[in-house]
Amino acid sequence: MAGIIGYGLYIPKYRIEVSEIAKMWQKDPLEIASGLKVKQKSVPGIDEDTVTISIEAGKRAISMAGIKAERIQAVYVGSESHPYAVNPSSTTVAEYLGVGNDYFAADLEFACKAGTAGMQVLAGLLSAKEIDYGLTIGADAAQGKPHDALEYTAASAGAAYILGKKKAEIIADILCMSSFSSDTPDFWRREGQKYPSHFGRFTGEPAYFTHVAAEGNKLLVQSKLNPRDFDYCVFHMPNGKFPRIVAKKLGFTPEQLAPSLTVDSIGNPYSASSLVGLGAVLDIAKPNQKIFFVSYGSGAGSDGFVFETTKNLLSKRGESISFAKETENTMNISYSQYLKQTHSI
Amino acid sequence: MKINILGGATTKFGELWSISPRTLANEAMDGALKQSKIKSSQIDALFVGNMLAGILGNQANTASLFAEELGVQIPAFRLEGACASGGLALHNAINSLKAGAYKTVMVLGVEKMTDHNSDDVTTALMSAGSDEERTSGATFPGLYALMARAYMQEYGITEEILASVSVKNHFHGSFNPKAQFKSIITVGDVMRSGKIADPLKLLDCSPISDGAAAVVITSDSVLARRLPKPILITASEVATDTLSLYDRKSFTTLSAVVTASQKAYENAGIKPQDIDAAEIHDCFSIAEAMAVEDLGFSKKGQGAKDISENKYTLGKGKIISNPSGGLKACGHPVGATGIKQIIEITEQLRGVAGKRQVKNAKIGLTHNVGGTGTVAAVHILEA
Amino acid sequence: MKITPVKLWRRQKKVSSQIGKKGKIIAWTIIRIPSKEFTSQAPYPVIIASLESKEKMILQLVDWKMEDLKIGREIMTVLRRLFTEDGGDGIIHYVIKGKPL
Repeated sequence: MAGIIGYGLYIPKYRIEVSEIAKMWQKDPLEIASGLKVKQKSVPGIDEDTVTISIEAGKRAISMAGIKAERIQAVYVGSESHPYAVNPSSTTVAEYLGVGNDYFAADLEFACKAGTAGMQVLAGLLSAKEIDYGLTIGADAAQGKPHDALEYTAASAGAAYILGKKKAEIIADILCMSSFSSDTPDFWRREGQKYPSHFGRFTGEPAYFTHVAAEGNKLLVQSKLNPRDFDYCVFHMPNGKFPRIVAKKLGFTPEQLAPSLTVDSIGNPYSASSLVGLGAVLDIAKPNQKIFFVSYGSGAGSDGFVFETTKNLLSKRGESISFAKETENTMNISYSQYLKQTHSI
Repeated sequence: MKINILGGATTKFGELWSISPRTLANEAMDGALKQSKIKSSQIDALFVGNMLAGILGNQANTASLFAEELGVQIPAFRLEGACASGGLALHNAINSLKAGAYKTVMVLGVEKMTDHNSDDVTTALMSAGSDEERTSGATFPGLYALMARAYMQEYGITEEILASVSVKNHFHGSFNPKAQFKSIITVGDVMRSGKIADPLKLLDCSPISDGAAAVVITSDSVLARRLPKPILITASEVATDTLSLYDRKSFTTLSAVVTASQKAYENAGIKPQDIDAAEIHDCFSIAEAMAVEDLGFSKKGQGAKDISENKYTLGKGKIISNPSGGLKACGHPVGATGIKQIIEITEQLRGVAGKRQVKNAKIGLTHNVGGTGTVAAVHILEA
Repeated sequence: MKITPVKLWRRQKKVSSQIGKKGKIIAWTIIRIPSKEFTSQAPYPVIIASLESKEKMILQLVDWKMEDLKIGREIMTVLRRLFTEDGGDGIIHYVIKGKPL
């Protein structure tokens, strides 16, 4: 099967603390923080969008992959905040990355799992020998409606993954993959609306937990493995609570989950969430370790992968910018500055 | 062949809300004809300097518009070189006389800027820069601020020293009835004024103004002899440089000015120190500091210091710069400035500058610059 | 200042080759009274940077703090949106800007 040959993460520099938002609405910051288990979220610069974020992450992935951009033969960008309703982010990103003209391209949308859907498409094209290398990106400059619960977590980031087939280049093999899909209206955004809407507690049990658990169990059966066979697990992180609960439900320990919990420091960057979590794990993983991965996108569905790292991971990872390094120097902003940067004023 | 200035006139410069571009031009050209003691039928051609009529007023074909105001169906041309439009119009007028194409021509500089809000004007003025400069979010004050930063860093000059340029020019402007600002200001006033583009503050920057200036020049010696004191244009030189500031070799010198002025001195057979009065393009305070160096008056890096030590001030200095009050105090209706400078020097050389009179002024120079030094027009006048 | 789709498209190859270059600030200012399209972003710094490739560029500086505005400060070129006002029906214009390293 195919595998990851390089990845790149980009997180905007700005942060707004949950307490700063809570102050605005005169809510108890401690209550919010402990309820969501989120401290702060990343905020895009006033001139950043899904395309600019994708280009940053894409450049880093290409650098780690060690291939010329022109060799990429498929580009998929998954997001809930594509800059245009009609006009592909994928070709703008590909053009600025220098991919050339010989590539499959499409924009994907499936709430927070659009980027992982792209990974499945690439795996398919690679297996069918239609391409040698492909790029998938999950990126968002997410918007949360003021005064809504999601305002505390809707964040911004980009994660790019390049997949290939050559054994000598793969840093993590895809051992198996599957998806669990349904029509579940937990969270949506209508055409022309600036902010998404959701149905409160319905986004929990019938939505996130049902799909992640169902796909999780499917993946265990498919791979013929047990939770204890894995070194790490990664789940989509809408907040700090949900992934911790579902990990326990599926039989994983807090230690297996911990390295992936990027939500604790950057919030939920929607289409980038699970892929950033995966990147944080790959940053510190050793060769020959297994990673259990299940994303989630509202609407709804979960994409599952079992990855196994290879001996190429250490050398390829080399000097790349890790999640830890990327989130080192941040700039805290006020609520009014946050409104300005997210184009609310 | 001698190029004589017969006469010229400027309108007041300022926020002239009720005065249209046509009226401005009329007033200046009428005054020029009167001073020259000739009729419009004696004008062979009209050269117009204007930058923004097309961009702001949506009016191209401007030369014909103003020729119509003159009431004659003569050849009319518009020259544009951003803020050097006036100087370029004059240079081309002179060339036409030298070529023998015409004998007596009118050169008009005119600009109407206050019909538009300052946002639009700031944006329009950036048409003098490059695409890259526009997309970087730079404004003209910003581009000159970059030069100021480099200059201050290289020569250890403070904002206070730079401020003395505007102080001097307001002092001179207080003697000029046509000036937009006749108020005296201090270094403290400049330092306290709001920042426009660090380190340049409001009072480091020339204003947005309306105004017109017109001058009649001739190669006809008979016409010239009718006037008491003939004033000759003994040099007219233009030079260009890269469009973008960042492409220059140095940010603290305008090589177009150096080139044009050196050629001008050579053609006029004089040295920089022979100049008695100079009208200098102080679009921003830093511009005058660099100009007095580029023109050969002050040593490189000494310009701002020399100005702050009154070496160029009326009644105190040797070469008086901007006796009119310069662009800062007199005002800067872009296309008109180059011609206003010529008229100021003409009055200085004729001894009729009143309270602004530079004693025994015999040789004068005008320095008119477009963009960030993309084009420079230098003229030398002698009595 | 309108950018037409054709102009944007014609410049893409050049712009794409300018992303991710390292350089140093050689002059800087802070624009406080901007041109029309930049009103919502002011105040912001504009710098002239000298790149490792020896070429010079004029750039808006983003993700900045006051301490970054020093001659000699290291920067990297990034791609960002030009106009930041949301809405509108025109093409989105991406340009090279600078970011402190």
